[in-house]
Amino acid sequence: MFSWYYIEGILIQSCYTLLIVLGLSILTGYTGMFSFGHAGFVCIGAYVSILCTMAFGLPYWLSLIIAGLAAMLLGAGLGKITLNLKGDYFCIATLGVGEAIRLIFNNLQLTINVGGKDFLLDGAKGVASIPLKTTLFGDWNALSNGDVGTFLSTLFSSALFIVIIFLTATALLMNSKHGRSMLAVREDELAAQMSGINTFRSKMLAMCMSALYAGIAGGMMAHYFGYLQPKMFLMTKSTEYTIMVIFGGMGSITGSVLGTVLLCALPELLRAVGDWRLVMYGLAVIVIMIVRPKGLMGGKELPVGRICRAVGRVFTKKKKDLPPPDGGSVGEEASV
Amino acid sequence: MSDITFKHHDPNVMLELWHVTKRFGGLTAVGDVSFKIKKGEIYALIGPNGAGKTTIFNLITGVYALTEGRVIFDGTVVGQGDAIIKDDMRETDVKPFRKQPYDIMSRGMARTFQNIRLFKSETVYNNVLTACHAEADYNIFQSLWRLKVGPKWLTKYYYQEKALREKTEELLKIMGIWEQRDMIAVNLPYGQQRKLEIARALATDPKLLLLDEPAAGMNPEETLALMDLIREIRDRFDLTVLIIEHHMDLVMNVSDRIFVLNFGKPLAEGTPAEIQSNPEVIEAYLGKEDDGDGDA
Amino acid sequence: MGIEYFLQQLVNGICLGGMYALMSVGYSLVYSIMNFSNFAHGGVIMVGAYVGYFALTALNVPFLPAFLLCGVGSGLLAVIIERLVYSPLRKRHAPSLYFIISAMGASIFLENFVIATIDGTPRNYPPIFDNRINIGGISLGVDSLLMIVVSAVALLILMFIIQKTKVGLAIRACSYSEKASTLMGINGDLVIFIIFLMGGVLAGFAGMLYGMRFIVKPTIGQVTNKSFVAAVFGGLGSLPGAIVGSVLLGIMEIFVASFNSNLRDLFVYGLLILVLVIKPSGLMGKVVEDKA
Repeated sequence: MFSWYYIEGILIQSCYTLLIVLGLSILTGYTGMFSFGHAGFVCIGAYVSILCTMAFGLPYWLSLIIAGLAAMLLGAGLGKITLNLKGDYFCIATLGVGEAIRLIFNNLQLTINVGGKDFLLDGAKGVASIPLKTTLFGDWNALSNGDVGTFLSTLFSSALFIVIIFLTATALLMNSKHGRSMLAVREDELAAQMSGINTFRSKMLAMCMSALYAGIAGGMMAHYFGYLQPKMFLMTKSTEYTIMVIFGGMGSITGSVLGTVLLCALPELLRAVGDWRLVMYGLAVIVIMIVRPKGLMGGKELPVGRICRAVGRVFTKKKKDLPPPDGGSVGEEASV
Repeated sequence: MSDITFKHHDPNVMLELWHVTKRFGGLTAVGDVSFKIKKGEIYALIGPNGAGKTTIFNLITGVYALTEGRVIFDGTVVGQGDAIIKDDMRETDVKPFRKQPYDIMSRGMARTFQNIRLFKSETVYNNVLTACHAEADYNIFQSLWRLKVGPKWLTKYYYQEKALREKTEELLKIMGIWEQRDMIAVNLPYGQQRKLEIARALATDPKLLLLDEPAAGMNPEETLALMDLIREIRDRFDLTVLIIEHHMDLVMNVSDRIFVLNFGKPLAEGTPAEIQSNPEVIEAYLGKEDDGDGDA
Repeated sequence: MGIEYFLQQLVNGICLGGMYALMSVGYSLVYSIMNFSNFAHGGVIMVGAYVGYFALTALNVPFLPAFLLCGVGSGLLAVIIERLVYSPLRKRHAPSLYFIISAMGASIFLENFVIATIDGTPRNYPPIFDNRINIGGISLGVDSLLMIVVSAVALLILMFIIQKTKVGLAIRACSYSEKASTLMGINGDLVIFIIFLMGGVLAGFAGMLYGMRFIVKPTIGQVTNKSFVAAVFGGLGSLPGAIVGSVLLGIMEIFVASFNSNLRDLFVYGLLILVLVIKPSGLMGKVVEDKA
């Protein structure tokens, strides 16, 4: 049952989902804005990227960049009209834009003829036979065949590579004045303004980054599944991404990673529970908000460095066959 | 829009309110208030509850738009209402406008709040560090390079962040809350939260510090210590201070000049001695305040 | 387009608009006092539709008691949600983000609970009023007219309560400032209880009307998205705005649908974006200034 092909699939899905969740974590977890339409940005990214690869024959990596930028542009536009307004306008606008994007692609009948080949965008029926370009970690067959160029380009556009790059960049950015300003907006917008922080710009930055991540992930998703339908981007999908952020903990990047991996693997493990899975999710969200609103990680980061050292210690101790002096196990470190 | 500066502005004046009026619907919260605060002065704004003191703060800092009048901060107009009463200083045809609060504040103003507003779930250290942002101008991409080595345009983060952290440490030590730096702000005792808020305000490198009832909820000893502290930071950071206060002892001892508001209207202005001997003030304010002091 | 067709569509539009109004009023009430978008409102409406369905089919009760049962069921549910989900957050003075997330959790819970316990298949209400009447040569469904009357009466009663009674005064006071009202001796908890109850009852009515007209399935709660749009269109936080916005939205939607039925949903969300760009405060909204 658990063949490598199967596990690889789950891992690729986890990777691009993580990218979306990471973006949403910046928006919701760090800046405190709630988006109901993130699936819409993923949708834009997916369609733009297949348009690039299938209709215009652009390379996969370039299509991802264009997809991300397209989503970002949309996010910036949405931010421009709502982020200066007091009240829940942003929230309702994301809901409207998310649904509107899906509905546009649902109704769009488009044939593009490029180089004698027809590319058909057929509304709700979607698009099929998209080239499968998303790899987990590069095309190693190409390397063994001696095609180093293909190998490198697939490696640098592989799901794992992209996600690690963005994970690192996000972690660094959140630990800078830009990230701190976002947190200040979440904590107390007026106080942030009174400290001279341009809260509009911080919110806009969060919105743009978040949309960029979602757009790129959309491209990866389209080229992983090989087909695309507007109904893959229903509002429930957006809420699922938000649930992952909340499970992991608002304002924690390692939390988002944990939440995503957990919730991506869980549906497979919880098959037997069936429909009750989402019932439990809903209940869990409510309980988390009441009992532990900062989620699994409580707004803290998993001390990655300390865990590495601790693991190293355990291994060296085993070699020397000494009893552990303070019992500092990995599990305890993680729960700090 | 571009800034409007006054050629004939008195360079010794830090903040000037020119016939400032604010109405909420039909209610006049602040009516025709004018005063000038000189550089380096500690200026106090007093008046009974609901006199419109905090509203004046919100008008200065751009949280509210002015209905009438003008606010000039260090020679620059930061707020302009619809009509100007008795306008004898109009140099250009100024249309009503309102600057974004962050814009006003980043020109060298900082404030604290009557009901403390910290970044609650962050550490004491991060509260101050967040407010230090103005001195760092590294962009998103420069914040990705953390090393000391590299070309100058790339290592901005390292050096600027180092400076921010040094400044944060200095401020926390001055305010005496360095030991508590890793505590979550909301868990601090009340008095230290006030101090943290002042530290956060100082982190933006202000020229003018607005303190909204800094001694609220403090006992007499703490209030006394706060008085010394306010004077100390004024001298140390070369500040001008505008302070709203209920504690009469604090106001009379610490401030150079006092402005008295009553029901949104100006009542008197002068040195503490003048105010204490002003019969109108005694009638309208001090008499009532004596009862109030009994409770406090 | 014949005049008869036009009038029929107009009635259909008002009918749909009335339903939106019943939904968006509950949403606006909560928004005006608690300052967050109660996204669990859709779940309450959906449960109302199911209560009505089972009352009519399994219990075989006539229309009117079933209708009232819907109101009671949904009203109770709304109050229970407030007590269990929002009340603990309110006690902690949690930021409004937490309320929105909890509301989302509640709506996921309700929707999937119904799927898990009943099932996800769409069901049709038994026909109740399927005869048509002729007014001045125009044939109109009795159910449409009934829906308009019911919505209008329910909304009028609500407006009466808000404008003329002591409870209404307390609600209006709280919508200006809950904190100040509480200091003035108004029981904030009670006011919130009442707005959730009223919003819930109207949501139940809306659910049953929706079920009668269309179908019942666990995802019909998503129709509230359109009532949020209606609330923004009319002016976020304004009750008369929500009603006017809803009715106008309903009418416009029906006419767009008669032109091209694929575009009706797209039109609604397009309108939302248009409103946000041109006049975010909506038809009857007011600009609010921050309190420091």
